[in-house]
Amino acid sequence: MNRFKIQKPRDLTEAVGLLPAELGRGRARILAGGQDLLTELKENLDEPESLVSLGDIQGLRAIEARADGSLILGALTTLDELANSEQLKGAFGVLSEAAASVASPQIRHVATLGGNLNQRPRCWYFRNENAPCLKKGGATCFAESGRNKYNAILGGGPSYIVHPSDMAPALVSLGAEAVLSGPEGERRMPLEDYYTLPKDGNLESETVRKANEVLTHVVVPAPPMGTRSTYLKFKERASYDFALSSVALVLTLDGDMVTGGRLVLGGVAPRPWRAKRAELELRNKPLAGIEIEKLGDLALQGAAPLAENGYKVPLTKGLITRAIRHLQA
Amino acid sequence: MKVLNTDIKRVDGPDKVTGRAVYTHDVRLPGMVYARLVLHHTPRALVESIDVSAANEVPGVVATGVLHSEGEVLAYLGDDSALAWVAAETPEAAIEGARAVRRTLTDLQPTLVTPKQSQLPGAPQVSSRGNTSGESDDGNREQVLAAIEGADHRLEAEYELPIQHHVCLETHGHVVDYDGERATIYASTQAVSSLAGEFTRLLDLPADRVRILTPVMGGGFGSKFGAGLEGAVVATIAKQLVRPVHLMLDRPQEFQMAGNRSGSKATARAGCNAEGRMVGLDLEVNRYGGMGAGSFPKPPYIYAPEQTSSVLRSVHTALDSNRAMRAPGHPQSSFVTESIVDELAAKAGVDSVAFRKLNLDDEVWHRHLDAVAEKIGWAQHPNRTGPGTPDADGLAEGIGFGLATWRASGRPGYSAEVRISPDGSVTSSTAVQDLGTGSRTYVAAIVAEELGLTVADVTPRVGDSDLPPSIGSGGSITTGSMAPVIQVAAFEARRALENRLSEQLGQEPDSFVFADGKVTAPGIELTFREACAMLGSQPVTGQGKFKADLLGGGGRLHGAQAARVRVDTLTGRVELLHMAAIQDQGIPLNRLALRSQINGGMIGALSYGMLEERVMDPDLGLLLTHSMDNYKVAGTMEMPRMDVILDDDDPRHGVVGMAEAPAIPGHAAISNAIFNACGARLRSVPFTPDRVLAALAEKV
Repeated sequence: MNRFKIQKPRDLTEAVGLLPAELGRGRARILAGGQDLLTELKENLDEPESLVSLGDIQGLRAIEARADGSLILGALTTLDELANSEQLKGAFGVLSEAAASVASPQIRHVATLGGNLNQRPRCWYFRNENAPCLKKGGATCFAESGRNKYNAILGGGPSYIVHPSDMAPALVSLGAEAVLSGPEGERRMPLEDYYTLPKDGNLESETVRKANEVLTHVVVPAPPMGTRSTYLKFKERASYDFALSSVALVLTLDGDMVTGGRLVLGGVAPRPWRAKRAELELRNKPLAGIEIEKLGDLALQGAAPLAENGYKVPLTKGLITRAIRHLQA
Repeated sequence: MKVLNTDIKRVDGPDKVTGRAVYTHDVRLPGMVYARLVLHHTPRALVESIDVSAANEVPGVVATGVLHSEGEVLAYLGDDSALAWVAAETPEAAIEGARAVRRTLTDLQPTLVTPKQSQLPGAPQVSSRGNTSGESDDGNREQVLAAIEGADHRLEAEYELPIQHHVCLETHGHVVDYDGERATIYASTQAVSSLAGEFTRLLDLPADRVRILTPVMGGGFGSKFGAGLEGAVVATIAKQLVRPVHLMLDRPQEFQMAGNRSGSKATARAGCNAEGRMVGLDLEVNRYGGMGAGSFPKPPYIYAPEQTSSVLRSVHTALDSNRAMRAPGHPQSSFVTESIVDELAAKAGVDSVAFRKLNLDDEVWHRHLDAVAEKIGWAQHPNRTGPGTPDADGLAEGIGFGLATWRASGRPGYSAEVRISPDGSVTSSTAVQDLGTGSRTYVAAIVAEELGLTVADVTPRVGDSDLPPSIGSGGSITTGSMAPVIQVAAFEARRALENRLSEQLGQEPDSFVFADGKVTAPGIELTFREACAMLGSQPVTGQGKFKADLLGGGGRLHGAQAARVRVDTLTGRVELLHMAAIQDQGIPLNRLALRSQINGGMIGALSYGMLEERVMDPDLGLLLTHSMDNYKVAGTMEMPRMDVILDDDDPRHGVVGMAEAPAIPGHAAISNAIFNACGARLRSVPFTPDRVLAALAEKV
């Protein structure tokens, strides 16, 4: 870990001004809860000259329910606050379940929503300073032909990282929107579009966020009446782990009929993975009559496992089954 | 007994939970420097240059040293990877200095980090011994294979176990306080007395000027006996700087150079008759101990097939040597043997407990199996003669068993001193280290029992090489070696006090009774303190020497464990619901400590069985599980209900160490429970979802 300055801007404009125009090793980084950043620094993955702390900026740590039933989640809201908020029960349950599944109680008390959405991959080659991998500017994704039990089965190549966030698939499943502040002011986009695939050419980050933009809020639209949701995460170590695979499932029901829904997978692709064909399959089906096996096959269509991660296919199908049955019950 | 064989809370518990206890890592001395090793991260490299000049320029760096010179070849990933050291005024400066060491090395291919690589024809030699060594060949293989061929039920299978780390929470290391004439070494060691001799040599000091202190330590499971390379380097730095030096490994270094449990691969052939009697067992075992030999007890392990043959060998890789770890070789052998037994029982359609008994010649194991079978609910379990099938929801519950064996012994040659002072205070002293197992507590409790006092009335002094010498803690022999010695010391001190009382009170020395904090004799009742006051100004002491008859135990240790799991056959999740263990242990000194030790054994085994695995990249030669992020150890959510049964029917009337036996069979029981639940046979440890799903797919 190098020596660095900590800067404490009072507002977003000042914060944005302290951030570099381009990403790059050694340049200023945003500090929120520090739970991912600190591990990056300790592992020498980056040596930023300064950290721009968001802690003194007002209005970023809040869960606000608007009259139209939508929610605004501030980026500095802690995962523990999300896990325990009464506002995140019911139709929004997928969010509190996802937040509660993250890491350990100690980390959830400090880690923030923004940090969770912007954390870097956990691939053991990426995290090992001594492996000069593609994501770190090298020529090779070592996971592709190396030890790849934890890597991507969907959307991989040329890098095979998986996105480690639990909040991201949960928020995408509710159609959430990301709100960013930058030098040109605010811009918004579906959170789904916030994340990129390595094949789109972006290897040094996993999102479209520019180096001098701050993710300030996430807006979760009001779920239609009759929405049920759940987040199931498979952790190899239940006490504290990232997902081998996870399923965020949202179903909108009209009586016993499923009128719509989203199925988003975590831990299996470089970004939260919307299983759109499976989502179509859900539509206009009686809840009790969903063909779960077919749904699983559709969700995993196109999966291209590497040598050691083929198990993620049946595992994910199993999780989808469990998620559907959970919402059927 | 009033004190011993009860639940005694450990005397250092409050210090440990409040953070008052000072571990080696926590030692801070005036003028101390922080030293750090600089490691290369791949095996088999040719050194072209190691340049510390930039490190010397880092503010705060006090000194540097180089450990390999140009043209040398680093032979393996481990001690040999240590290129240099840096000593600095702060830990941060030491890290910065270490990163400033410039090195140019050429990595050699193949890396030889996997057995597959080292066994390829024409592979470079890992060492002068070659890539395979230490082969043993026992039994008449031809005859055994013929017997298996003619058996009613036959099994041919391959089993694999990964390399496991010790994961001591306190990493290896020392703080050496050397002033040019004498040295005090704060050490995280399993052998306080013998380490003093080692540092005498490393520091070139006479024995009377070297003192080892280990008041508490953060875990030792077999890897913390010698000073190690880190001890040799810290001694070098201390001599050079004549300042206190702190050198502890960090976690990646610990995983790279501080030992491990060897992996294994076993190819088994076995057969039994229709009733379940094993007619033959043949095993071919490769031990994967890196540069070391690895461990695996010779078959048959515990069970008594009619005939056995085996070939065992070490297959070397360019990795650090295995070290002793919790019953070396036994957890490996337990997994292989218990899997074979369980597979045959299912093939024969025989109740797996009955099958085991049929092939066990020692009745203690029969009794132990019955005890854990009852605790886990075997009699009410539906799948006793073969695996079950998942319910409509895809869930399946199963029960499995495993057995342990270890030796019960103690050794002569160590001593203790008990001192009774005129003010009534009592100290019990021996150099023995307390690894967290509770030796400090029994050092006091044995004396309290002898003098009719409470544990709180006796001050234990341990973890100091200036105290009467103690055995190192390995092989579960610490308690068996030290308890009799402490008891004799307490007895001798009491005799000395009785003699003085006898002179003053005119009673026969034998007439005094020490109980309930009082000393009584016909017509006399004194508090212990009043009795001690009659010593005048001189304390009395008793010296303890080993008396084998006070050990009374010896022989074989047994032990059985059972596990109940729930398998989600849709996802491969294995939920460990319940474990039960029984252990023989002679006379328990401290029932609470025993139960804790047995719980710890089960926890160690379940973590090994469910999660732990060293993973290397074979092309890069990189250790990928270099932190506790990727090297997964079980946490609180992995803990099942755990029941411990202390075997009070053990006829041995003496103290028997049992520490390692409970760590042996738990993972075997879990694997067998998974099979019993749903028919998925896990032949490779750990039982992670990739393996469980593969085994489920293979079943279909």
